[in-house]
Amino acid sequence: MRMYVALRTVLLGGLLLAAANTYAEERQISLDWLKTVAFAAHQTDYSGVFVYQYDNRVETSRIIHVVESDSEYEKLESLDGPKREIIRHHGQVWCYINHKMVQVDSQQVRGRFPSLLPEQLSALSSNYLIKEAGMERVAGYNTQVILFQPKDNLRYAHKIWAHTDSGLLLKAAVLNDKKQVIEQYAFTQLQIGGNIDRSWVGAKGFMGHDAGLPVSPETAMGGTAINSGWVVDTLPAGFKKTREIQRPMRGKHAPVTQIVFSDGLGAISIFIEPADGDEDDADGLSSRGAVNLYHKVLDKHLITAVGEVPPRTVMQALDSVRYNGK
Amino acid sequence: MKKEISALMDGELFEDEAENLFDQIKRDPATHKDWEIYHLIGDVLRQPEHIHCDLSEKVRERMQGEPTVLAPRGRAVKQRARAVALSAAASLAAVGVVAWMSLQVSPEAASQMAMQQPALRPVSAQIQPKSNDYLMAHQEFSPSIDMNGGASYIRTVSYSTDEK
Repeated sequence: MRMYVALRTVLLGGLLLAAANTYAEERQISLDWLKTVAFAAHQTDYSGVFVYQYDNRVETSRIIHVVESDSEYEKLESLDGPKREIIRHHGQVWCYINHKMVQVDSQQVRGRFPSLLPEQLSALSSNYLIKEAGMERVAGYNTQVILFQPKDNLRYAHKIWAHTDSGLLLKAAVLNDKKQVIEQYAFTQLQIGGNIDRSWVGAKGFMGHDAGLPVSPETAMGGTAINSGWVVDTLPAGFKKTREIQRPMRGKHAPVTQIVFSDGLGAISIFIEPADGDEDDADGLSSRGAVNLYHKVLDKHLITAVGEVPPRTVMQALDSVRYNGK
Repeated sequence: MKKEISALMDGELFEDEAENLFDQIKRDPATHKDWEIYHLIGDVLRQPEHIHCDLSEKVRERMQGEPTVLAPRGRAVKQRARAVALSAAASLAAVGVVAWMSLQVSPEAASQMAMQQPALRPVSAQIQPKSNDYLMAHQEFSPSIDMNGGASYIRTVSYSTDEK
């Protein structure tokens, strides 16, 4: 009898161990996938057309991404509605606004490689249930589907479809707690590698003042890291500060303080700027796809919270902003 | 008239009925108002946490008198009638296009379609284009860059459908 009990204990223990191992293994595979996806997004040459579905709308856009010896070049152009174009290179962003190309952002370049750090990956697995959800075909390619289900209701669920060969993300959906898709991207046509149009990258004049893209004195200086003295007390578990900078912003007289927090999948930016008494209509919440934006005037400052997290999370974050002195 | 609008939104009208109704909506401001209110009601039902003014109360009050909107959809919707109604609806609102696109691009959305239209937001709560610069500034530091690449930048330059 004793023998039997001992045997049963061993068997049961073994089963539990096996189950735990399988789970850990599956999670590790999913996390490895994530690293591959992040790597592919930066290091792959591709050109394609994708649809972006959000709120009650659908937009079609073309994207070209090429990696030259120095860094990434990317061109995004809208195919529906008014002409909009975004060119990104080396932390600089140009946007086609009011029929001309203007520089809208210029940040110090992050590492050449994706910024998904090991600690972010472990934060991800403590705040999301990550699981592989089968194989599907997207834009003619085979993809691995991975689901990130949040463990609380302060963030959205993310579902991604990664190309099994290159790791490139071919489709991505953000779902709310009712499992409704609130935003999704999907390639409808895509060329990975091979002969991709690089004429627009043109080494000569691309960054020049005359022939190429304009450099705006307003934004060219970029942001500088600071310790602003502003703190945010209420953020969901796992959200860590990744940036605190003072930056110029188009159309703003004074520099704006931006503090960014991220849990590895979503991020919240808090913007703080002097209120100029012109913010009558500023208060309140608005949204576009998965992004929620909340404005509020506090102590003669206009505070804005923006993030791809549910409305209650940006509101909670903003309501907990306070000045802690320097 | 209100019943007909409700039926149209549910995709339960035939082609000729739908066309007549659209003509009416275009011509008659009061009918057009009803059309808008019905969509607003739908939005409120689906996204109650987005309503931050007294609007939800007013809409709920109005809904008391309009039980048809709350009634479950007929199951025996003819596929042809639905497709026609949706494509006709696209000329007035993008809702139809989204529903159609969901069928094309998303199995989740497609399964939702059996019950309801995709999640909509009240128009009043859309991020205004003047706030695009905040989105742009946020985007550069968002992890979605590492996942979706630059595709997620399309969020930052979205244009307003209200521009006419």
